[in-house]
Amino acid sequence: MSNAISALNPKAEFARRGQALQLNINAASGLQDVLRSNLGPRGTIKMLVSGSGDIKLTKDGKVLLGEMQIQNPTAAMIARAATAQDDITGDGTTSNVLLIGELLKQANHFLSEGLHPRLCTDGFETAKTEAIKFLNEYRIEKEVTRDLLIEVARTSLRTKLHHELADLITEHIVDSVLTIQREGERVDLFMVEIMKMMHRTDMESRLVKGLVLDHGARHPDMPKRLQNCYILTCNVSLEYEKTEINSGFFYSSAEERDRMVAAERRHTDDRVQKVIELKRKVCPPGSGKSFVLINQKGIDPLSLDMLAREGIFAVRRAKRRNMERMTRACGGVAVNSFDEMDESILGHAGLVYEHTLGEEKYTFVEEVENPFSCTLLIKGPNKHTLDQIVEAIRDGLRAVKNTIEDKSVVPGAGAFEVAAYLHLMKFKNTIKDKSSMGVVAFAQALLVVPKVLAQNGGHDPLDALVKVQAEAAEGHHAGIDVNTGEPLDPTVEGIWDNYRVKRQLLHSCSTIAGNLLLVDEMIRAGRATTKNGPDGQEMAM
Amino acid sequence: MAMRIPKSGLSELLKDGYKHHQGLEEAVLRNIRACRELSAVTRTSLGPNGKNKLIVNNLEKLFITNDAATIIQEMDVIHPAAKLIVMATEQQRKEVGDGSNLVCVLAGEFLNQADELLRMGLHATDITEAYSRASKKALELLETLVVKKDIDVTDRDGLIAAVKSSISSKQYGNEDFLSALVVDACMAVLPKVPANFNVDNVRTIKIMGSSLNNSTFVRGMVIDRQPDSTIKKATNAKVAVFTCPLDISRTETKGTVLIHNSEDLMKFSRDEEAQLEGAIKEIADAGIKVLVTGSSIGELALHYINRYNLIAVKVLSKFDLRRLCRSVGAVALSRLGAPTVDEAGHCDVVETIEIGSDRVTVFRQNDSGSALSTIVIRGSTRNYMDDVERSLNDAINTFRTIVRDPRLLPGAGATEMELSRLLGELGDTIPGVEQYGVKQFAEAFEVIPRTLADNAGLDATVILAKLGAAHRKGESSAGVDIETEDASLLDATAANIFDTFSSKYWAIKYAADVAMTVLKVDQIIMSKPAGGPKPRENGNWDED
Repeated sequence: MSNAISALNPKAEFARRGQALQLNINAASGLQDVLRSNLGPRGTIKMLVSGSGDIKLTKDGKVLLGEMQIQNPTAAMIARAATAQDDITGDGTTSNVLLIGELLKQANHFLSEGLHPRLCTDGFETAKTEAIKFLNEYRIEKEVTRDLLIEVARTSLRTKLHHELADLITEHIVDSVLTIQREGERVDLFMVEIMKMMHRTDMESRLVKGLVLDHGARHPDMPKRLQNCYILTCNVSLEYEKTEINSGFFYSSAEERDRMVAAERRHTDDRVQKVIELKRKVCPPGSGKSFVLINQKGIDPLSLDMLAREGIFAVRRAKRRNMERMTRACGGVAVNSFDEMDESILGHAGLVYEHTLGEEKYTFVEEVENPFSCTLLIKGPNKHTLDQIVEAIRDGLRAVKNTIEDKSVVPGAGAFEVAAYLHLMKFKNTIKDKSSMGVVAFAQALLVVPKVLAQNGGHDPLDALVKVQAEAAEGHHAGIDVNTGEPLDPTVEGIWDNYRVKRQLLHSCSTIAGNLLLVDEMIRAGRATTKNGPDGQEMAM
Repeated sequence: MAMRIPKSGLSELLKDGYKHHQGLEEAVLRNIRACRELSAVTRTSLGPNGKNKLIVNNLEKLFITNDAATIIQEMDVIHPAAKLIVMATEQQRKEVGDGSNLVCVLAGEFLNQADELLRMGLHATDITEAYSRASKKALELLETLVVKKDIDVTDRDGLIAAVKSSISSKQYGNEDFLSALVVDACMAVLPKVPANFNVDNVRTIKIMGSSLNNSTFVRGMVIDRQPDSTIKKATNAKVAVFTCPLDISRTETKGTVLIHNSEDLMKFSRDEEAQLEGAIKEIADAGIKVLVTGSSIGELALHYINRYNLIAVKVLSKFDLRRLCRSVGAVALSRLGAPTVDEAGHCDVVETIEIGSDRVTVFRQNDSGSALSTIVIRGSTRNYMDDVERSLNDAINTFRTIVRDPRLLPGAGATEMELSRLLGELGDTIPGVEQYGVKQFAEAFEVIPRTLADNAGLDATVILAKLGAAHRKGESSAGVDIETEDASLLDATAANIFDTFSSKYWAIKYAADVAMTVLKVDQIIMSKPAGGPKPRENGNWDED
């Protein structure tokens, strides 16, 4: 069969019809194979080694897809859809990839029997609409209590961290979100600072109701621990700054020069003096109060010296984002000028102290009243542990936030997938045309989640599946117990997934899988490929 | 011209140059093998009879040491799984400052045992679960094995005994002398609350020549340069410390001197001199005898310093300057001028002495009031002194560990043997596959007494059998006696061989954690190494 493309561009590469479909299906199942072992609490860890030899350990599908440089176009497309899933809902990346792969696999089965891809995708669409309808019925609307949030967060975290750690961090995450939550306002997760500290073990991670800054006081003589502190948050330069224009001094005697040296400093000194005056006013000697200065701009050694003499704890070059958190956590107003300051602009914290770890210093601001910002302090013996925890925490925070906004949850452990399967298999009988095949494929594909869960737990996937289906057919909520391979009731065990994660999952994978099925020609043109080019192996001539 | 249909599999999806290992055979067992290789390297350095390694690092610097932390660090491990062990040892060094070899050897052995289980057909998750259970139990059991609960921080002999095992594992033969030295130096700076002991307050300085036995310690600081001034010695001196240069003041903005005629020029120079003299005189009048600066000393200033019979010392390291401040009790001034009474420090003796061919300045306090002490290490070669310094640092860290947490465990492999026995018994009570994991975990501890015996040239099998028997009889502190010819045992508690609780605790924890992490990895995805020099072939990679 002569090809129009070769006539138009002899250099173009192409794949047609069945071949194109095979390419897509292979890529999808290849990606599925990679992520398969990640799913669920008993999933294994992947080790990623970057070009520079840095090690990353992860179970998080999002991280994995982000770190691998995927080149295959189909796989890249799936990866993008999965990453989008994470951006929108914060979880469900692995499930997404698995589902897309499985949808294509199942579809392949029907296509090989002569089903037209278009009918198949039509079936997907119908099944998706029905599945989402079912999801809306299946979800359970619950009052958002701390216990529920803990259960949701635990479900999310246990798939990413080991059990004990997950349970520990779960509580911290929920408490942190409850701390920053305000009645009638959207939860702003940016108000939870995540601070990493390479120290001792991961089990010592904790929630600090206050702030942790990753730098310390800059002067050796400054106090290391203060109680009952006023906190001045500001963005005022306390260092000598050169003029923008070219300038110079002219002097003709040493005395004159000395005066100039003094004049040069006076400007900065005056500002420091203002802070010191304020300190003296609000913290009279013997009052037991102390003063902390947190500056976004610099403070030069001479100014530090003056502040240190007054017993003021000064932190320079604080991060921009911490300035907002600081006022939220401690109260007070961030000031941009030292004119007309009084007590009302000061924040307050019960305890401020510095912690030194090797070369690094950390400043803890704790015991604040009524904080609207807090810090999750992550500890761990090495960088990859810290990274792993931070990524898990991001997902956990999102899961908690989703629950608060959804006000409903979906039973997890594969229970929804099994129930949806049963529902769709009933539903397909109401469809009279060939697109019902697509519905069957969709229903079958959903089962990949419980199957893989059982498989990763080291159990026979079919055995487990049959038992769960039987349980679910009786109208119970039935999911897979990854430890035993037996059915369990997720509503009793407290295994909850987010509603919006599942919804997004159903939407995005049916769309992508449909798109991929409808591709009947792949063309790569307009790019000179040499024999030994970077793609020489993959795209053989 | 049709596109080839790519085979399924990850490597087809990724950019060129990616390596991908998956599954038991390819990922898990290979990782285990790499870790075992690493621990095999440091294993021979464990204990008093450990061998030295000669390492030439990437900067062509030569190391001869049996300190595992240094060996591992300088080896520049690139295998990702082995690197995890390297990180664990680093963490141990940061946390406790000693016992990095223990981490490495234990982690290697845990994995070695896991390897057998994997070949038996156990799932990696089962093993990690058993390990996590066993390690938790081991840490609990460890507390019951403590033989000494408290230690008197004024009891010199008790402290020496506690520090000795740390030193004897690195400087066998000199342990009596060195541990006494370390304990003296540490006790000299022990604060009122012993837990606040700061490792940074005991410094070491290496001066070539003479022999190790001539090493001493000084209450105060030793700075390895002589004063710039002509006067070199002062007693009972007030000290002023400056962070700014001892020179005429300058503006930050560029200044130009406006001179109209020669008189102006003369006048300017005279003014300048007069001013500087005024400043130095003011300092001298305040009773200061010693000036220390973290920056430069101007020619002119030096002239006046000499004229007013002051000593001026440059201390170029910012950290040393701070330490000196602590030592003499001074506040560093950032502007040239006389310090107030509070700001000036005091030092009993400031003198320049000649040690070997080096002239050093010593800031010494006669009474026990010094916040710092310095150990002067003597030795014939730089390498040797480096090695001594490392073992002293380990010992100082051990000292800190002891004053913070005075619990001691019996050494000489006794603790490990007892743990092994107790965990083995625990394993017998567990139903299901987990028992295999727990038992293997228990067995892994035997590597320590075995290695101690091996390194001492004894018959490890005989010793282990004897040890096992002794421990079953309830002699919980029976350990390996490395000094006898025939394989015999000793009672570690009676022989005053102790290990610190914290060092063992963290070592077991980190080793078990890293072993579990390695076991949990079932896939490795490596991108093409980024530019730079190519890593040496077969550096630490398994050959295949």
